[in-house]
Amino acid sequence: MRAVGLDIGSLSTKAVVMGGDGILSSAVVLSSDSAESSAKAALQQAMAKASQDGEIYVVSTGAGGKSVSFSRQNKAITTCLARGIHYLLPEARTVIDMGAESITVVRINERGRVSDYGNQDKCAAGTGIFLQQMAKLLRLSMEEMAVVSTKAKARAEITGTCAVFAESEVISHIHRDPPTPVEDIVAGIYISMVHRIMSQLQRVGVKKEVAVTGGVAANRGLVSILEEEIGHTVLIPPTPELAGAIGAALIAKENMIQGAS
Amino acid sequence: MTTTAKTPDRIDAILRACRLMLRMNRARPDARKSEVLYYEMLIDYCTQLATARQQGRFVAAHTVFFPSEVLYAMDIVPMHTETTSWMTALFLGQYADLLAAGAEQGLSSEICSPHRGLAGALSIGALPRPDAVLWSNMVCDNTAKCGELLMKITGSPGFFLDRPFQRSDEEMKYFVEELRDMVAFLEAQSGLKMDWGKLSETVRHMDEQIELFREINRLREAVPSPFHPQGFLELVTVDYLFPGRPKATEYLQTLRDELATAVTEHRGAVPKERYRLMTLFMPPMYLIGFLEKLSREYGAVSATEPFFCNWGEGRLDPAKPLESVAQKSYMLPESHMFGPMSEKAIGEIVESARRYEVDGAIYYADVGCRHTCATIKLFKDALSEIDVPVLTVDCDVVDPTVTSEGEVREKLERFFELLDDRR
Repeated sequence: MRAVGLDIGSLSTKAVVMGGDGILSSAVVLSSDSAESSAKAALQQAMAKASQDGEIYVVSTGAGGKSVSFSRQNKAITTCLARGIHYLLPEARTVIDMGAESITVVRINERGRVSDYGNQDKCAAGTGIFLQQMAKLLRLSMEEMAVVSTKAKARAEITGTCAVFAESEVISHIHRDPPTPVEDIVAGIYISMVHRIMSQLQRVGVKKEVAVTGGVAANRGLVSILEEEIGHTVLIPPTPELAGAIGAALIAKENMIQGAS
Repeated sequence: MTTTAKTPDRIDAILRACRLMLRMNRARPDARKSEVLYYEMLIDYCTQLATARQQGRFVAAHTVFFPSEVLYAMDIVPMHTETTSWMTALFLGQYADLLAAGAEQGLSSEICSPHRGLAGALSIGALPRPDAVLWSNMVCDNTAKCGELLMKITGSPGFFLDRPFQRSDEEMKYFVEELRDMVAFLEAQSGLKMDWGKLSETVRHMDEQIELFREINRLREAVPSPFHPQGFLELVTVDYLFPGRPKATEYLQTLRDELATAVTEHRGAVPKERYRLMTLFMPPMYLIGFLEKLSREYGAVSATEPFFCNWGEGRLDPAKPLESVAQKSYMLPESHMFGPMSEKAIGEIVESARRYEVDGAIYYADVGCRHTCATIKLFKDALSEIDVPVLTVDCDVVDPTVTSEGEVREKLERFFELLDDRR
């Protein structure tokens, strides 16, 4: 039997297959309207990559985790992030997960268990979807945004409290005479997101080392501003978007061992 | 003497809901006798309000923590404004029209919802029009201002009771004089006379009640907890609505005896107690039934609520009734919340967490209550020093549009998972 972790996010669904020696394979697919079908698609891809078709033990997490009928257990994303990051970066004590629709900060102990957490899910400001919207508005890809931000000489002032107001502000920066340089706008967008993250971080408390996960973690421009604000470098695992699914797979493995003993 | 100008339909509806609860309780073989007494008291309270007009009695609307002992001693019918608002949400689940009416009075959605709803309720005649409005600065500046609006809406005369934040001999003297002025105001408005003997008797009962509250608190230290998960709301309501009433003494004695028996028999209020929680501030009233059910499902009990149950030191003296009323205001558990949060208050929270052996704390952050939300980090930091995690639930005490049942369930389940994970 193989342990499988599924993280059903609002934008993407991640699957991780784990064997006795560690991760066998993983897959990331775009989430559809149905959590169940997204989960099945990610699972099929991951199982095919690992050349596995036998019995599986699935633990699910994420926004759609409760809707997966073939999952044996649903766990909170905070629990899975803690386990996942402890596996990937055992020295990490704080995790900042920058997801599509929320920012989650988890403080973890030396055993990879959650000590405390906080999340903001009431407003799109500061989330991955917000960043996507901004990229669309500036007609840049996410990768281009990251590159452009490194050339900024100043940071345009953009609110971090409301995604709708932030969008209006970006439009006003584009249309003012002379227009605000695009690199300064991007840096302004990043700093507004970082302020949002910092407020969550301050609520939970920063404990070194700090790891960053979620799809947004791949954005170097944003991460370097985050590092400036925190005051030290952060750790980013090789596949930051998989941390939650890895944690779920680890829990599945633990459950299988406990069930067998 | 004038009283209600319009049918007090919400009071009638609350009354009907309480009667139904009472009937259901009486029919249950395992019903607590104290719970029956509790609903009987609520029915008496609402009946008084609903019939005040026909009986030509004087009705005084008063804000939270206002010393209604004085009103009882003058045979005035009290209408506790915030609790009436809460009961509307708790028993009827009907609040949207009151908030909408409050908005028409110029109260925006960022303002404390009990005040918004209350202003709305009075403006559309959903609550009896009071003969006088009494309010104080004993909770927040919002309350200090809300009385003026209520006077304007109802056209009733009002009295603002100024209670100093700090407690010294001079400030106590000042507050006693304020109470004396208020009595004079009520006598002038109602034509009724203060019965000082009755006030003394009320104070005697109040003193006994405070001792009973303390005894109940001590019994609640037991593991498993003998008191039902959201039971503290009964205790809060008893002090808010029935201070110094003989039936409140009977209720507290009965509850004390029930808890003592449960402790002796090592009987918990939930089938399998798994999580002992500290409740900070007020959970959403429209979710109380759901929270009670969820608590039983997960074996979670609110073991302590320092801001609602931890009475300050001291005894009341029936020979000095007005001074005792003043003194009680500084002994109230909620008095920790008045004014700037002190180190002492934070220390008491930590001490309570230890004494009640809590696994975690739930901070119900009422988004309309600025001064309580400002303390979230203070408590979180203080409790994290003794390794007690704090869950913050952004909510509104009566407005269901801020947080849904599903969101609260999700947050609590996630928190319970965290508590499991830490074991």
